[in-house]
Amino acid sequence: MSRFSKMAASLLAATSALAAPALAQDELTIGVVVKIGGIPWFNAMEQGIVSRADELGVNAFMVGPTSDDPALQVRAVEDLIARNVDVIGIVPNDAWVLEPVLERAREAGIVVISHEADNLVNRDVNFELVSSTDLGNAHANLFAEATGCEGSYAVFVGGLTVPAHNAWADAAVDHLRELCPNMRQAADRFGVAESVDDSRNTTLDLLRAHDDLAGIIAFGSQGPIGAARAVEERGVAGEVAVVGLFSAGQGQALVHRGSITGGYVWSPIEAGEAFVTLGAMLANGESLTDGAEIDGLGTVSYNDGLLFANMPLELSVDTVDGLAELGL
Amino acid sequence: MTTPDIAMKKSRVPADLIEIGAMFGLLVATVSFFTVMAPGFFSPGIFTSMAYQLPELGILTLAMLLPILSGGLNLAVTFTANVAGLVAAWILVQVTGDASAGIIIVAILAALATGALIGAAIGALVAYTGAHPILVSLGFMILLRGAGEWFTRGGDISGMPEFFRFVGHGTLLYVPVPLIIFIAAVALWVLVLHYTRLGFSIYMIGSNAKAALYSGIDVARVQITLYALSGLMSAVAGIVMLSRFNSVRIGHGESYLLIMILACFLAGANPFGGFGRVLPVALGLVSLQVISSGLNLMGVSQHFATATWGIFLILVMVIRAPFQQR
Repeated sequence: MSRFSKMAASLLAATSALAAPALAQDELTIGVVVKIGGIPWFNAMEQGIVSRADELGVNAFMVGPTSDDPALQVRAVEDLIARNVDVIGIVPNDAWVLEPVLERAREAGIVVISHEADNLVNRDVNFELVSSTDLGNAHANLFAEATGCEGSYAVFVGGLTVPAHNAWADAAVDHLRELCPNMRQAADRFGVAESVDDSRNTTLDLLRAHDDLAGIIAFGSQGPIGAARAVEERGVAGEVAVVGLFSAGQGQALVHRGSITGGYVWSPIEAGEAFVTLGAMLANGESLTDGAEIDGLGTVSYNDGLLFANMPLELSVDTVDGLAELGL
Repeated sequence: MTTPDIAMKKSRVPADLIEIGAMFGLLVATVSFFTVMAPGFFSPGIFTSMAYQLPELGILTLAMLLPILSGGLNLAVTFTANVAGLVAAWILVQVTGDASAGIIIVAILAALATGALIGAAIGALVAYTGAHPILVSLGFMILLRGAGEWFTRGGDISGMPEFFRFVGHGTLLYVPVPLIIFIAAVALWVLVLHYTRLGFSIYMIGSNAKAALYSGIDVARVQITLYALSGLMSAVAGIVMLSRFNSVRIGHGESYLLIMILACFLAGANPFGGFGRVLPVALGLVSLQVISSGLNLMGVSQHFATATWGIFLILVMVIRAPFQQR
């Protein structure tokens, strides 16, 4: 029986240490959970979070899980609730998985701000620096111009359950269908674009399987990089269009060599800043209104918890060096 | 293992106490460390958070423990869990209209049966083909993953009935339900391993399968049963994850697999089978959770937190080494 009592004692210690008071926090604290830590995009976002926090005099930090397993994001949010932060920012890998834990966060009185997840229910506001339709259309225009509306194409997304990527892909495919009625999609969407290797392998397979492949539209930060490498390996750089959003620093050389055609993006630094700006506003009880002018976001459109700025950034031979210098 | 059974049994009792004492000491040490280092660590919020997080990894680790004790390995546990979760989710989604308690029980039973069946199939292959469990379970892991991806088209089944959330997010007398399930699972494993003939047979097979066979143990039957139990426990984890995440996707918890194996070894389970106890494993898991939550509270990078788990596991094994000359 002594084993049982020891076990019971340890678990009691773990669950019923309810007497210790939670640490009082005078400083406004904002924790932002991103998809995965240690990749350039989210390193840049962290830069934005930290610098904006310094400007506003709040305590803001980023939590980057070690893999894109959604279970790790749930754990990170749980620890933020325990830490008693004022605002939780979230860039979900899988919106459904996070609903219950975000519901608990809001019950605990925490403001929840999401990014790249407009269908998330348990949040106060979701913000995008550019609307999915605008972003999808911009890519479709560029793609139509680059391919001359001939051949087939494939679409990469970060994952089939990543809401924003699929919304852009929907918009791009719809718009492309209007622009180029003769083009066809070679295969179903691929959820490979957070991995350079998977994007490269998939592109190699597609090039082998489809003689008329005119190009790849890739959403997800590693997609164009992998696709461009595959295109270079097969010696068709410039002939097969690679359009999508990527980190400028990572894709700089590929753009100059012509293997990445171009794309549109928004700045993760500005997104990081927006988390802190909006977090501070909401935590201080300010409300968001349509047409408002917000510092760092410009004039925004706002409707029922969805906030859109209009700040696309063009990625092209002309802009990519400047953006790379900014650390993107 | 040439030592007679009786002698082994006698010498094991104090060793057990040392083991449990050591793991408990380690737990106290980690808790004290973070109480000093991370302001606000010793608070109800943190312990509640840990109580919700510990069970998924904990129950999966228990599922891994039985095969390891028998000298095998079950690499398919996470995917068994998710396939079982898929079965439950599929049943629950069929009747979203009126989700009565009856349907939820049916869904849970179906999930448990699925897990046990997959486990039994792995056990039967291990027992009758003589192939190494790593190969068999690796095959099943790939099979289940592929089948699950195909069935869900890489997406997820989501939108469980409101009542079902109780399993993963509810509390009973202020104790989170997942924690209660975890404690019950630990108790069940203690009972099976230390108080039944099956448990004894598992240790004996792990020590020396051939000797166990010649001493009259039905090795094949024990192996099928123990892998079925492992599958059953995976299914329990699958149900908890389904409720916690409000959805099931074949890849949920994928990142836990290696951590589970290491957590078993952390608590003194011998990679070659035959040794290891349930309570040190449970205490070791709590320590790992304390480290993870504590470092999160300190705002340390998640990558560093993972590295710290590695350091912790290595450290424990180094400290243990001199005592393991059995």
